[in-house]
Amino acid sequence: MKMNLKNKIVCIVMAVLLFGLSVFAIARPKDEYSDTERRLLSQMPAVTVKSVMNGTFMTEFEDYTLDQFPHREAFRTLKALVVKYVFNNSQNNDIYIHDGYYAAQQYPLNTQSIDHVAKVFNSVCDRYFAEGDYNLYFSVIPDKGYFLQEQAKQLPLDYETLVDSLRAQVPQLSYIDIFDTLQLTNFYKTDTHWRQETLTDCADMLLSAMNAKNDVQYIEKELSVPFYGVYYGQAALPAQPEQIRYLDADLFAEVTVYDHENRKQIGVYDLQKANGKDPYEFFLSGPLSLITIENPDASTDRELFLFRDSFGSSIAPLFIGSYSKITLMDIRYLQSAMLGNFVDFTEGSDILFLYSSMILNDGTTLK
Amino acid sequence: MLFSSIPFLYYFLPCVLLLYAIAPKRLKNTVLMLTSLVFYGWGEPKYVILMVATIAIGYVTGLLIEKWIDTKPRLAKLMLIVSVAFCLGFLGYFKYANFFVENFVALTGLSVKALNVALPIGISFYTFQILSYSVDVYRKDVPAQKNPVNLAAYIAMFPQLIAGPIVRYSDIAEQLVNRTHTWDKTAAGIRRFILGLAKKVLLANILGEVCDAFKASDDKSVLFFWLYAVCYMLHVYFDFSGYSDMAIGLGHLFGFRFVENFNYPYIAASVTEFWRRWHISLGSWFRDYVYIPLGGNRVGKLRHCFNIFVVWMLTGFWHGADWTFIVWGIYFAILLMIEKFFLLKYLKKTKIVNHIYVLLFVLFSFVIFNASDMGEAVQYLGGLFGIGGYPLVSESFFWYLRNYLPILLVGCVGATPAIKTACNKLHENKTADRVLNVMEPLVLIALLLTVTAFLVDGSYNPFLYFRF
Repeated sequence: MKMNLKNKIVCIVMAVLLFGLSVFAIARPKDEYSDTERRLLSQMPAVTVKSVMNGTFMTEFEDYTLDQFPHREAFRTLKALVVKYVFNNSQNNDIYIHDGYYAAQQYPLNTQSIDHVAKVFNSVCDRYFAEGDYNLYFSVIPDKGYFLQEQAKQLPLDYETLVDSLRAQVPQLSYIDIFDTLQLTNFYKTDTHWRQETLTDCADMLLSAMNAKNDVQYIEKELSVPFYGVYYGQAALPAQPEQIRYLDADLFAEVTVYDHENRKQIGVYDLQKANGKDPYEFFLSGPLSLITIENPDASTDRELFLFRDSFGSSIAPLFIGSYSKITLMDIRYLQSAMLGNFVDFTEGSDILFLYSSMILNDGTTLK
Repeated sequence: MLFSSIPFLYYFLPCVLLLYAIAPKRLKNTVLMLTSLVFYGWGEPKYVILMVATIAIGYVTGLLIEKWIDTKPRLAKLMLIVSVAFCLGFLGYFKYANFFVENFVALTGLSVKALNVALPIGISFYTFQILSYSVDVYRKDVPAQKNPVNLAAYIAMFPQLIAGPIVRYSDIAEQLVNRTHTWDKTAAGIRRFILGLAKKVLLANILGEVCDAFKASDDKSVLFFWLYAVCYMLHVYFDFSGYSDMAIGLGHLFGFRFVENFNYPYIAASVTEFWRRWHISLGSWFRDYVYIPLGGNRVGKLRHCFNIFVVWMLTGFWHGADWTFIVWGIYFAILLMIEKFFLLKYLKKTKIVNHIYVLLFVLFSFVIFNASDMGEAVQYLGGLFGIGGYPLVSESFFWYLRNYLPILLVGCVGATPAIKTACNKLHENKTADRVLNVMEPLVLIALLLTVTAFLVDGSYNPFLYFRF
């Protein structure tokens, strides 16, 4: 091929690519939401003298061009494939995959975060449980990394130190160890969360440590919607959808579940949410700051106050048979200092702080 | 606006190319000037005024210098002083005022309010260009530019505005009024630009991730220090030379030929040679406008040492207003003096030791260069030799080595002319030449799409020159 012809081809091909993508980027209809990343996409910012002069327009415009780039998902997948197969890097966007399981590296241990969490737990206990008779417990839910990090050759989070550090700082709480009741298969492959249908042993361990009994018979059911977890979107690599299975019981039809945040009655399971952006919100309608579950058929008048994160949504239904009332509080969304305005902590109740290691290691969100 | 960004690649650049292509010849510099001001204003809207003022001063003083140089030499000299004073004044205030105030406070203990002056991007590059223009006109090396648009297009030209190379007016004065646009030049520009873009996004940025992770890590070890130092050495090379490649490539697209800025510096056999291959435009600028006017090497030994010391201290200080940069410059001054008066003759006799010596001492220099302060520089240099109680290895070292080894190897090979030499050899073979010719557009497409993918995913994309 003559040099001149080759140079012409290079110029024409690259011009077509550059101008083609440019025109496509400008002209294409804009997306509002990314299903895989579960977030709203940036839109064209308004041009004002102020926003141009202080640079916010430029920053927002850059976000907009990234979010609205044509075939964005395909480009994200291309990057993930290059990182994985060309650069041989085990992580893309901090997500690694081993044996089909997607996980985020939690390393290193954030001691400041653990200290903060301990401070919040102690402050809650001092404020609400210093006087009166309460049974105080805490437990740590390991994330998938606990089971994967060694075989996937990832930098290890020191779970032992995490737990020991927390135990040492919250002596008034009795620790319930559930690590041995869990294994990798208790978790969704592409999501952070655990699978409810596999949690009966774990729930029994927690209940037994709190001297509660559970003899509810469950029926395992399956949702028909395909489930892609949160790591699927972050990793940007192709994956098979999973199915959400759940444990149902006749008892669940009898209980009253109340969402105090939106002041309405909800169900133990929310089929509408199952078809929404995050099907995991099927369990107790997802991230709500304050929920109460009342069981009129309970053979006891014991109450459980559960300080929890999103993992609590799926395990809490398995506690229903053991208590007359369960109050779920998410102090990421509700200031713990304000809880007294909304919750009446009945004396003699069980108090359980149940948090995943991910939240504890990034616990600045706890208020 | 960064070259390695979606707004530049798919919004700004196509618009500029289109406007430039349809503009008649006499308006092409106007298009370049206006689009360059938009480019600059995108990142620093308020500092466009500063840049325009600096250009105006350079333009007016240039004309007056030329007018009076033969008839009223004193006034011509005064105009030169005015131009130099304004350029250095702006540079001194915006870049160094904070540094001087902080050090004054530290030295005297007096309570002086911090100025907190923001540094306009690219000020070190464009003030140096105006300085060289004024000096060249004063020396009668070039005629003053009569057309303000042409001068503004030269100084503000966006391809070289924020990260160099420092293009001398004398090198492109002719091209400003008379330049050609050919398929060959355009294709060469595209090739060079995409190669630079890939160096920046696919090599420099990824190696930079290791450097940032190391700095944040509590799991440092001796070998992790070495891994960091090697990664930073490659990171800064691919970042800076990638930017220069993009600038030179863009220059080609607009019909210009800019000076080369990097020539495989890590294959140098001495530190003296390293500086002939690293940031060539800056080295030659200081040589021509500081070192030679000070007397260069045509002076006594002591004065020669002083000249080297001053030039390299200023070179270091040019890179940033911090003691680490000054020490970095002095470090090279000392090495260059040692080589000049003693070591060079021995280095010429070796074939491997000299390269190891250069790589090691350049590596140490970049540890100082990238340190946040001198305390960290000393800590990191000590860490390389196990001082500070660090273990030999750590889990983090193994993790980063395992996950970044391929990119590290590509970086090591890419920092040498091996790939270029191999391609040139292959072109000598007819069949291989045909294959390479067919492959070239495909490789360019693959590189552009891959870079786009990394940018779209919002990857790590630092800009190193905000302190320059």
